[in-house]
Amino acid sequence: MKPALLVLGYALVVAWCLPALLTRLTAAGLSARLGLAAWLAAMVSVLASLLAAIQYLFTAAVAGWPQLAEAVCRSVAGGACTTVVYRSAAFELGLGLAAVTAALALAVLAWRYGRSVQRAQRRTRAHAEAARITGRRLPGAGAAVVLNAAQPAAYCVPGRPAAIVLTSAALAVLDPGQLDAVLAHERAHLAGRHHLLIALTRALAATFPGVPLFTRAPAEVARMAEMCADDAAARRSSRPTLIAALLAMGTGTAVPAAALAATTCAVSARVQRLLEPAPPARHARNRLALVTVMLLLAVVSGLVTRYAGPLAAYGWS
Amino acid sequence: MRGFGDLEMVIMHMVWDHDGPVTVRELFDELRQERAIAYTTVMSTMDNLHRKGWLDRVKDGKAYRYTATASREEYSARLMREALTGGGDTEVVLSHFVAEMDGAESEALRTVVRRLAGRGPE
Repeated sequence: MKPALLVLGYALVVAWCLPALLTRLTAAGLSARLGLAAWLAAMVSVLASLLAAIQYLFTAAVAGWPQLAEAVCRSVAGGACTTVVYRSAAFELGLGLAAVTAALALAVLAWRYGRSVQRAQRRTRAHAEAARITGRRLPGAGAAVVLNAAQPAAYCVPGRPAAIVLTSAALAVLDPGQLDAVLAHERAHLAGRHHLLIALTRALAATFPGVPLFTRAPAEVARMAEMCADDAAARRSSRPTLIAALLAMGTGTAVPAAALAATTCAVSARVQRLLEPAPPARHARNRLALVTVMLLLAVVSGLVTRYAGPLAAYGWS
Repeated sequence: MRGFGDLEMVIMHMVWDHDGPVTVRELFDELRQERAIAYTTVMSTMDNLHRKGWLDRVKDGKAYRYTATASREEYSARLMREALTGGGDTEVVLSHFVAEMDGAESEALRTVVRRLAGRGPE
């Protein structure tokens, strides 16, 4: 029992305590790519620990069912637990039923996760196909299509092949340079496979409701992905052009290419980080902090699992 | 694959641009003017579109007459609804260039734009 509890404890600490720290470190979007990596690393670490705990419990059950029965009995009933109790057929049957139920619950969770990822993928592909058939090709813009709609919108949908969708209202408010920035942003999403990350984390949130790390991840991963794509688009066109495109699309009015750099205003973090990039020293500190978190995740989860291994081998169930 | 998807788009737009029901032969005659294409390719593409629910067809003698199941505008509206209701409800995974904004955020952006417009060349 102990090795499994140790690994499980680690997973619980990471799942409940890390989100607040990660949210703080990634709030300003100083290093979007590292921020994205840190969120993913935390989730992978928790899932891996969960699997390790399950494996230890399973091994313990197979190797020494009587010891496991005794350990469970003692942890529940303490001193009241006697040989008569945990050797009784009723207790063994109950414990067996509990084990089967737990195994079934796990199987159901895994199945639900797979199904929700699959369904999202099917509906996403269908949307991409419908957009490609319904829209008109945007000349010289590859996969981009235009739909007639009064609301300015631009988005990309993965599929076979993927589609970048712009509404006629979006084309009306963007000048050619801003349109390029929007297209570069959407292409960065597709190239970075951001949809896959978002689909996988969303399905995790649906599978583990109430676990802070998983329930907060979809929004945070989406936010980091957005900033990664912004960085790519700013590199391809320019920061002022990208900001102008964001403002134009956000307000639905054309934005003249004016002196944007001098503006200071409390706008969203996404625009703010493009308007006033943080000084290099703050960037470096933030990167260092994020890398440290990821290293700690790797080292601690490795140590916990390694320490739990021999513990299990000694039969400390 | 790419070319085939393109053909579905081209054919749907032709059907939408037609007033009444069309036959494979009619579309094939139109398409032949602008590209080298086989009759069977047009037929199988339209058959696919029918199977996928884009086209309705009724038998007329030996041939089928095809009509679109919904207008281009209806399809656009449906896509926009799916894309814009966004977030948790729809299972479609897509990334908007600008997400739905709350009132305060959009007001802040408007302020920036107003300032820029006052200062800019316009």
